[in-house]
Amino acid sequence: MTTQTTNSGQAQQSRGQLAASFRDPSGFLFSRSGILYRQVNRSYAEEYSRLMESGLYEKLVKAGLLIPHVEVEQVSAEAEAALKIIQPERVPFISYPYEWSFGELKSAALATLSIQKRALKLGMSLKDASAYNIQFMRGKATLIDTLSFEIYKEGEPWVAYRQFCQHFLAPLALMALTDVRLSQLLRVYIDGVPLDLASELLPSKTRFNFGLLTHIHLHAGAQKKYSGEEVRSRSGSMSKQAMTGLIESLESTIQKLDWTPRGTEWGNYYDITNYSDAAFEHKKQLVGEWTKRLQPKIAWDLGANNGVFSRVVSSAGPYVVSFDIDPAAVEQNYRQMKNDKTENLLPLLLDLTNPTPAIGWANRERESFGARGPADMVLALALIHHLAISNNVPLPQLADFFAETGKWLVIEFVPKPDSQVQKLLVSRKDIFPNYTRGGFEAAFKEKFTIHAAVEVRESERVLYLMESR
Amino acid sequence: MHFRPLLYLDPGSGSFLIQIAIAALLGLAVAFRASWSTIKKWMGIKSKPEEDDDDTDDK
Repeated sequence: MTTQTTNSGQAQQSRGQLAASFRDPSGFLFSRSGILYRQVNRSYAEEYSRLMESGLYEKLVKAGLLIPHVEVEQVSAEAEAALKIIQPERVPFISYPYEWSFGELKSAALATLSIQKRALKLGMSLKDASAYNIQFMRGKATLIDTLSFEIYKEGEPWVAYRQFCQHFLAPLALMALTDVRLSQLLRVYIDGVPLDLASELLPSKTRFNFGLLTHIHLHAGAQKKYSGEEVRSRSGSMSKQAMTGLIESLESTIQKLDWTPRGTEWGNYYDITNYSDAAFEHKKQLVGEWTKRLQPKIAWDLGANNGVFSRVVSSAGPYVVSFDIDPAAVEQNYRQMKNDKTENLLPLLLDLTNPTPAIGWANRERESFGARGPADMVLALALIHHLAISNNVPLPQLADFFAETGKWLVIEFVPKPDSQVQKLLVSRKDIFPNYTRGGFEAAFKEKFTIHAAVEVRESERVLYLMESR
Repeated sequence: MHFRPLLYLDPGSGSFLIQIAIAALLGLAVAFRASWSTIKKWMGIKSKPEEDDDDTDDK
């Protein structure tokens, strides 16, 4: 079992308790010497023993749906409330729903429903259905909150129904049927997309889809109508059969939602590149060699497109987080990863010119892009011209950014005469006198030691291996 | 029917009520499906094998 280390920047409250872990009275996360633990409170004793003894824990862990843990001897700051301290397996990289592609959010939604179905069979039920409780481990959507289960009492509705619709169904429907970029609403609405907003943004034809009609449109209407009213007197009970029907209906509604990338910014980038197969192969060879030499544990591929070079790195062993700005490229990357059953790759959506901020309560619940680093190795291939020219970032500022992001940097300099750069300059004035190989090296030498600079065959590009100082 | 009053998540009144209504309808469908497969069995029609419980439903 590996240990969970918290990143240096991970937001912590006093006494080591993690800032994102305050909502649930059943327990909390805390870190000691860089290892992450979860306290199970006495108040959660019945639920915890049912989870462990009913066979549910084992079944879910075996299916890759729940994070494995071991019980350990460790004393927390709130020892009087403690029933047990558990040490969950390490999540290689914490990601958030607004960084996931359509397919990733869909996998997370279906994993949540699959867990709920299995839990119901063994007399338990999910008491929350937050997308933040799902992380990708070994390539699969996995529940990381061991304390999400409660004892199922027949007759009671699903407490997490509203949350499930807001965190999963609404954004998936919007991405599939309105615009895939609407996943970014999750960045604004931390408790999921408000259903009245989803109802308004979805095309009116969705009222003829039974699942979307009921779980989103009518649901939104009911929320408005009964807002703040007490439910006790007027509600009936809900049989287990009805609960099963509800979960299966959500499942089939989500399964039918689909989004296939087409006509995208980068989707076919590798088919329209300006460099030869020889150049491409040379780049792959260098990246492979350097990865083997450095043996990083975690690598970030920035501007990864559909992950060709991420795969060169991941096949040598490291865990690779493969970031790109284009939802189609990230989706393609995820589909291939799933198809190949790759376990050490995570495709994520990221706009480097406006990276994921820290959000939530006191801006400390969900971490920013930078706080989840630094990585051991950063790849920036065919990227710098987009940042330096399209986004006007001066080279010294780029050097600062990359130096903070990782220890080792594999970066490609794309010179001005390159047709890809010329394309960026075609409609604007060239205000970049320092954008030359010399200017680039001078700026990066301020922050890095350059270990290698190799001219890529049959191209004017140069691939660098640098170490941050 | 009284639900436990102190839940750590607010399930939302409207969400509770609409859920009960939708689920009642869907529960009927589940019941119908169950009896339909009994009828089919009785008539000797083979139904599709039950979905393997240990697979993730993530297809």
